[in-house]
Amino acid sequence: MSVTEFLRRSELFSGLKPEQVEQIATLGREVVYNAGDAVISEGDPSDEVYIVCSGMVEVDVSKGAIPDVPGPPQFSSLVRLGQGQVFGEMALVDRGARSATVQCVEDGTVLYVIPREDFWALCAGNHHIGFVVMRNIAADLSFKLRHRNLRVRLEGAGGGT
Amino acid sequence: MIYKVSYAVIGRPHPGTIVNQDTPPRTGDQVKLDSEMFEVVEVVDLIPPRGDFAYLHATCRPVQDEE
Repeated sequence: MSVTEFLRRSELFSGLKPEQVEQIATLGREVVYNAGDAVISEGDPSDEVYIVCSGMVEVDVSKGAIPDVPGPPQFSSLVRLGQGQVFGEMALVDRGARSATVQCVEDGTVLYVIPREDFWALCAGNHHIGFVVMRNIAADLSFKLRHRNLRVRLEGAGGGT
Repeated sequence: MIYKVSYAVIGRPHPGTIVNQDTPPRTGDQVKLDSEMFEVVEVVDLIPPRGDFAYLHATCRPVQDEE
């Protein structure tokens, strides 16, 4: 599957014309990671958005900021993201620091990486692309929140973590 | 149709998984989430479909629970 074909199957670009997705495909690059590789780290500056082409990543947040406590930081896993999922999109919207750490959990995980500023320039130059992508980002964030709500509900029922 | 599925695991610690797939999960299916096998015990429509996407939530449990 070509990058363009893959991107057309990502919800982030749902509703765009094929030629518009081809434009986006010229902005990024594919990067391969192995299990245990950190892609982004909580608190770091952000300048890219990622789409999982294949494999799996895990999104973790640290349990409290206790810089004076020795030893490795403790993390809580929020979710695992597989094919077609996007992460780093919050920084695309708010330009804030990374809110979570994302690491690969499968060898050979392939990510498509798009620089934020190039992507913003494309959206600024074509407001239809910008509108569609921002709507899709909002829908994706909503989906992730629903996923987390359901997990919490299951945990409350004594069936989850 | 592309199925965007939210998997939540019961019976053991697991953060759950979100993944796109070409076929919808069904109750009784066995699914592989990263390296482990799980049995789907419930599937619900999470939100209405939009464009080429359908949005599902599947609850599943480790296969070895039945062994």
